[in-house]
Amino acid sequence: MTDLEKKIVAKIPGEDTGIEVKRSLCAICSPGHHCGVDCYVKDGEIIRVEGTEEHPYNHGKLCTKGSALRNYVYRKDRLKTPMLRVGERGEGKFKEISWDEAYQIIAEKLGKVKETYGANSVAFLSGYCKWYRPILHRFCHVFGSVNFGTDDCTCSASKVIADKVTAGCGAGPDMAHANTFLGWNYEGYYSSHLSVAGVQKLKARGGKVIIIDIRETPASKNYADLFLHINPGTDGALALGMGKLIIDNGWADMEYVEKYTYGFEQYKALCDAYPLSKVSEITGLKEEEIYEAAKLYATNGPACTNYSASALVHHINGFNAHRAIVCLSALTGNFDRAGGNVPNPPTYLHKPAGFKTREHEFRSNRYPGTARRIGAEKFPLWEAQFDETQSMELLNQLETGRPYPIKAIFALGMNAKMYPETDHLLKAMSENLDFFCLTDMFDTMTAKYADLVLPACSSVERGELKAYQGGYLTFTKPVIKPLYESRSDVDILCDLARIMDLDDELLKSGYEKCCDWMIEGCGLTVADLKKSDLPVKVPIAKWPAVPGKILENGFKTKTGKFEFYSTAIADIDPSFGLDPLPVYYDSLRDQNDPETKENYPFYLCTGARLAHAVHSRTHEVPWLRSLRPDPTCEVNGEDADRLGLKDGDTVELYSPVGAIRVKCQLTWKIKPGTILMLHGYDEANVNNLIPRNHLDPYSGYPGFKGMRCNIRKVERK
Amino acid sequence: MKYTFVFNPDLCSSCSSCVIGCMDQNDFDPESGDLPFRKTFQNEIELADGSHYSAYISAACMHCVDAPCIDACPVGCLSKDPETGFTVYDNTNCIGCKSCAMACPFGAPRYRKSDGKMVKCDGCNERVKAGLKPACVKACSFGALQCVPEEEFLAEGSAKACNVLIDQLGLRRK
Repeated sequence: MTDLEKKIVAKIPGEDTGIEVKRSLCAICSPGHHCGVDCYVKDGEIIRVEGTEEHPYNHGKLCTKGSALRNYVYRKDRLKTPMLRVGERGEGKFKEISWDEAYQIIAEKLGKVKETYGANSVAFLSGYCKWYRPILHRFCHVFGSVNFGTDDCTCSASKVIADKVTAGCGAGPDMAHANTFLGWNYEGYYSSHLSVAGVQKLKARGGKVIIIDIRETPASKNYADLFLHINPGTDGALALGMGKLIIDNGWADMEYVEKYTYGFEQYKALCDAYPLSKVSEITGLKEEEIYEAAKLYATNGPACTNYSASALVHHINGFNAHRAIVCLSALTGNFDRAGGNVPNPPTYLHKPAGFKTREHEFRSNRYPGTARRIGAEKFPLWEAQFDETQSMELLNQLETGRPYPIKAIFALGMNAKMYPETDHLLKAMSENLDFFCLTDMFDTMTAKYADLVLPACSSVERGELKAYQGGYLTFTKPVIKPLYESRSDVDILCDLARIMDLDDELLKSGYEKCCDWMIEGCGLTVADLKKSDLPVKVPIAKWPAVPGKILENGFKTKTGKFEFYSTAIADIDPSFGLDPLPVYYDSLRDQNDPETKENYPFYLCTGARLAHAVHSRTHEVPWLRSLRPDPTCEVNGEDADRLGLKDGDTVELYSPVGAIRVKCQLTWKIKPGTILMLHGYDEANVNNLIPRNHLDPYSGYPGFKGMRCNIRKVERK
Repeated sequence: MKYTFVFNPDLCSSCSSCVIGCMDQNDFDPESGDLPFRKTFQNEIELADGSHYSAYISAACMHCVDAPCIDACPVGCLSKDPETGFTVYDNTNCIGCKSCAMACPFGAPRYRKSDGKMVKCDGCNERVKAGLKPACVKACSFGALQCVPEEEFLAEGSAKACNVLIDQLGLRRK
């Protein structure tokens, strides 16, 4: 080989090799991340991806999933053209049609449902990712429907609402100034790789780390001074018990409590019901470790806490568990204090960047308000606090037609596997919908049930607006042309707004104009942003967030204080039984009758993060799939011995509503009685095991991480 | 400048970013049935008191100073790159005898079914010569896997680093 040939094989960028480095972002995981990527492009094709060193967010780092971005983009099951169903729903038989034909069909079908049943009978639903959501949200409202729903009905929003009704807003850990890090459910390595450096730095300067988790993780191994290996679903009890210890031992910041909080006496009375011995019994932790953790957290301040988006709130007692943990932050005077948890409101699409945009206004100023959204009747706190559907009620509403029928779904990236009782949902959609249109990148299980499928392109094939921590904003440029006939989600929506002649000049003017409207006043326009391949510092951005502003100006709650006793919850009709205090109850309370207990003795926790997976988005990415080829549950070694299970055995996991067959892996990282199973597999969809009504009454969130199940070995025939 | 791969298991989580980075660089096709050049391991090792120690490991060719694979190859495919010090190869003459794999204490060289030849990690030799990091190192977010100039490595006390891996793998004579 010549030297040049060697360089081409090794993909060295340069004029001689014809390999150009183009910049974009990875949108595989949550919009809270989205790292900057360098795409090595040769002849219009990406041949390698790595993290952008100069990017102000990820500084060259990429996680496991992002490292596989090329393999994700070029997945074999990419949708290629618009397709119209020709077989039965679910059969997967389609014929190719043109974009013009597809748009005409959508306009006609949605128009017909609107005419016959009313606009609210069309639900506009979104899965991952989230970048187009402001456009879809507004589209939904302008069309005339109140029913805009996303995966927020099962992800993060429960925490957001719990924060809101307690402190008026959420607050992130100020790692840089903390002496103690309370890593509640903190795992980091697999879900938030850039956060690990903060923990490393804290440790390096002598800070202390407490990790509370149901499994041992690299974080608990590498960084924990105290690791509390807690029984799953009992975090709320631990938080109340820690509250009692802190109060009884005089570790509370009573000056803070008196000045800035509301409902302390009631909260204290609640904590009093959780003495150490009782908490030890519930949580499975030793009394000494609970005492040491409470003492370290309360006396070695400032102390900040990790609040995970979903680990806790995926228990049916999770909303209150999260509130109880947030309460500890106020009790110890760490809320809105340097080194504690500091509020930092999102600028655009969940990302804080130190300035305001008109995103919320853009989404909501055309809200029709002509009916109550899906789920509103069952989850009044959700309805009062969040402007989306609680789609956990979608299945019931489809089946019963009450309070009004849902007759069409127009969805981007909708993933039925996100829903408990997935198969029942797909059946109900097949039987009750007049029209189901799905836009997606891939030929998914859900796509097979659609009447019309539209191919979307990936993040590297489009331009998008994105804010970043540090006061940055960017508008990316495509690094390759959209594959096949795929189009950008927002172009599809804006095209449709024109073809359907919706009453909204903004949407009709296209995505970039909409972005300009949203960021107006920040000192930059989309045209300015497009001049740079990297995020640009926004002139008006104030970064970092300065602690103490809320203490000075008052909490955004009814009382203006941090509410141990939530007045927003007290306002909800008492017949729903929602307690203004963060009371603890059993995470399996709806499954604790003697018969269910006996038949389903295991605690099923689904979706605990592994490095190579995020929901179902990466299961079909060959490189990532090769790291764990078979859907696999993790079983404690002692349980496995008792049941005669060995590594690699095929087992059946089953609950009262469903069963799946998976491989079994032995582990000692979880306690006996617990089973972990990753979600999102077509062939082993664990959400089919979760009953539709196993929900947190405060948020409507399903108990994905706390559910009874059983396991049995499947004998080879 | 010669380079040394340094692995620190206390910073590793077996997240396998390194493996994916390697797959991307080397156009790995899982359907081929071949093994990637780099692998990660998560081993739960039972200790004397019955508890378990979680070992997180990333492993590939160690680019040994005195690489046994070089001597084992009957047709002279393997050699040391004089510039980087990596154990590189030209498998044009490879007869697929697997001697290199058998000589390697880590089993790093792989037999490729599609053409019956041996392949292995070459330390991303061309990338390093071009001033870039090896793909696996570039992909590691946690500083667990690094590629440092030999002088730096020696200055830092070479006893640590690679030896830790050898300990973890239980290869040291007790």
